[in-house]
Amino acid sequence: MSITLGQYLMLSGVLFAVGLCGALTRRNAIIVLMGIEIMFNAGILNLVAFWHFKHFTTITPLMFAIFAIAVAAAESAVGLALVIAIYRQYKSVDVQEMRALKG
Amino acid sequence: MNAAFWILAVITLMGALLAISLRNLVHCVLSLILFFLGVAGNYFLLRADFLGAVQILIYIGAVAVLILFAIMLTRNVTGTEGPRDMFGLGWWAGLITAALVAVAVWITLRSAPEAGVTSAGQAVGSVEAIGRELLTQWVVPLEVLGVLLTAALIGAVVIALEEVRRRR
Repeated sequence: MSITLGQYLMLSGVLFAVGLCGALTRRNAIIVLMGIEIMFNAGILNLVAFWHFKHFTTITPLMFAIFAIAVAAAESAVGLALVIAIYRQYKSVDVQEMRALKG
Repeated sequence: MNAAFWILAVITLMGALLAISLRNLVHCVLSLILFFLGVAGNYFLLRADFLGAVQILIYIGAVAVLILFAIMLTRNVTGTEGPRDMFGLGWWAGLITAALVAVAVWITLRSAPEAGVTSAGQAVGSVEAIGRELLTQWVVPLEVLGVLLTAALIGAVVIALEEVRRRR
């Protein structure tokens, strides 16, 4: 019995939900960023699974995945720099305490 | 093939679950590395060899180390979060939202006709083919990506150095 597309879609869907749960429930900004990374990886895994099972003879989906990984790396670098800047300001990375813009 | 998929799926899922649920931040990052390794294994299983290597190099080699550095620089928060944030209102709201997303994905996939597809032809994803495509058809996006990475690098340095500049 070989692997089907549905198995990979289920896996990436569950991984996305796990990442979303982490980003929504944890209060440490670094772990929120880690949850976002998990969601990003689940999305890219979805893309690669569709490439493997549906468009194996063309290379374009793979290019999309490579560019998405590069953009995600840039995003996480800027995000962590923001976390460090916020830590200098508040002496904390608790997302509950970042309420300077709260109305 | 199917056994390899299930082993990798369990590793990946376990890494993700531990990464968001452990109390110690450094243990979280180690679990995140396990998760990235599982995703890289899935890429290898899907015959995207180059993407698997890129995943290991960028995510484990760069992103995980970057997160570790961020934890080091915000040192006095490496301790555990208090018990009050577990099982509070926000915790339940986040958990229920994530569960609803999972259920929505599950229901969509159960009725999708595409879910039973197996493989579809010969591999084209060799490193040679990717390199040729990147430097011919995709050369403009590649250069734009280089500009974006440079901008992100400079931006990250500027944001992280803000305090030092103000002090002078």
